[in-house]
Amino acid sequence: MRGKCWILAAALVLVASVAMAASVKVITQQAVIRTDKRFFSPPVVTVPYGQLLQELTREGDWLRVQYRGNQGWIHVSAVEEQKVNLSPLMTSKAKETSQDEVALAGKGFTPEVEKTFRAKNPQMKYDLVDRIEGYRVSMEELHLFVQDGWLREPGGAS
Amino acid sequence: MITRSSLTIMVALGILVFTGCAHVVEVGTTAAHDAGLIPKQDKDYYDRRAQETESSVRPMTDREEYYVGRAVAATVLGRYRPCRDERLNLYLNQVGQALALASDRPCTYGGYHFAVLDTDEVNALACPGGTILITRGMVNRARNEEELAAILAHEIAHVNHKDGVEAIQRSRWVQAATALGADAARQLGQGQLDELASLFEGSVGDVVKTLLVNGYSRADELAADQTAMIIMVRLGYDPNGLTDFLARLAQEQGAGAHGGFFATHPGMGERLVEARATIAANKWRRVDHQVRDERFAAYRS
Repeated sequence: MRGKCWILAAALVLVASVAMAASVKVITQQAVIRTDKRFFSPPVVTVPYGQLLQELTREGDWLRVQYRGNQGWIHVSAVEEQKVNLSPLMTSKAKETSQDEVALAGKGFTPEVEKTFRAKNPQMKYDLVDRIEGYRVSMEELHLFVQDGWLREPGGAS
Repeated sequence: MITRSSLTIMVALGILVFTGCAHVVEVGTTAAHDAGLIPKQDKDYYDRRAQETESSVRPMTDREEYYVGRAVAATVLGRYRPCRDERLNLYLNQVGQALALASDRPCTYGGYHFAVLDTDEVNALACPGGTILITRGMVNRARNEEELAAILAHEIAHVNHKDGVEAIQRSRWVQAATALGADAARQLGQGQLDELASLFEGSVGDVVKTLLVNGYSRADELAADQTAMIIMVRLGYDPNGLTDFLARLAQEQGAGAHGGFFATHPGMGERLVEARATIAANKWRRVDHQVRDERFAAYRS
């Protein structure tokens, strides 16, 4: 009898924790989950826009999250909080789009709007914009640049 | 009794309320009320609903800001060619991206990218979302990495504060965010896309006009300076890089320099005074930056 109670209590705790599990949505084109709460720590996994991550804990501007079996840290500015809860059982099948995104579909400035705008304005220098967006510095290079210049590491846990 | 004219007016006001443009609705209700077509309580009702709709419109998402920023950059790059000095572009991106990571908004939808525009004009522009364009004339005015960092941190601050998208006419955005209604289908018709593209074009125009012609408000510029210095200090740069640079620009402005940057950035003297006061209030000391001076000299050679 006592054993059954413990099992029931454990099940309740599990259910409660599942219900409380918060989720966040990636709002950048590509977001990197890292091993530590620093930009210069090694990446665990890269996550595309719109994916839901399970939030585990928060320390300063960093969230510890889980995504498809991977755990790590992500900066708060790369995600937005979701009102819907996410069961760990659903994590592996996380929806591509969230509810608010579906509600917003077809409104505002979407890639389709840019496409229409570009078709009407073929003289616009989007090729040069694409080239400039290709200017990327890897975190390894940036880390060296910061160290060589006797600067402090940016974005550490606050 | 509802007459045919007052019914028409009510339907028209209902549509205007739906688009969320409170000012237009108020003009319409006042005219209709003065003409005796709608009673006072109806006028108040429509005015209130329009204000509610306008204030409850959602903010622009980071992804939308990115698309506006791309179009702004594409417009600016139609006027100024980017510099092909890859070594300089790399250096600029190293300084700029390190600063962006130290800011309050290190991650944007498309990330931060920095490029030099091949012109002697003096200017630096932050496109919404994080593409930052700086003229060769501006880069050449920086005497060391601290000053270059100050210019870039100031532009990053404008991105952090979303000053670019704030320049978009409110009514335009309200219409873009709400015009198609809550039941908008996933697949838009060409007519709806054309309507959105037109609102998009107007929004891009608003931002470009602010960046190249009108400039930001004095308050926005002062706030960007404050944030820029905080970013610099976090990363270990000397915030005096900003005041040293501003002091020289103020001198040029005092000597009669005008056009471009000087037209969109008046009051350089006031910015200098405010920045110096911030440094004193925070007791930020001068920082030894010889290592970075040498690095800057190597890139400039």
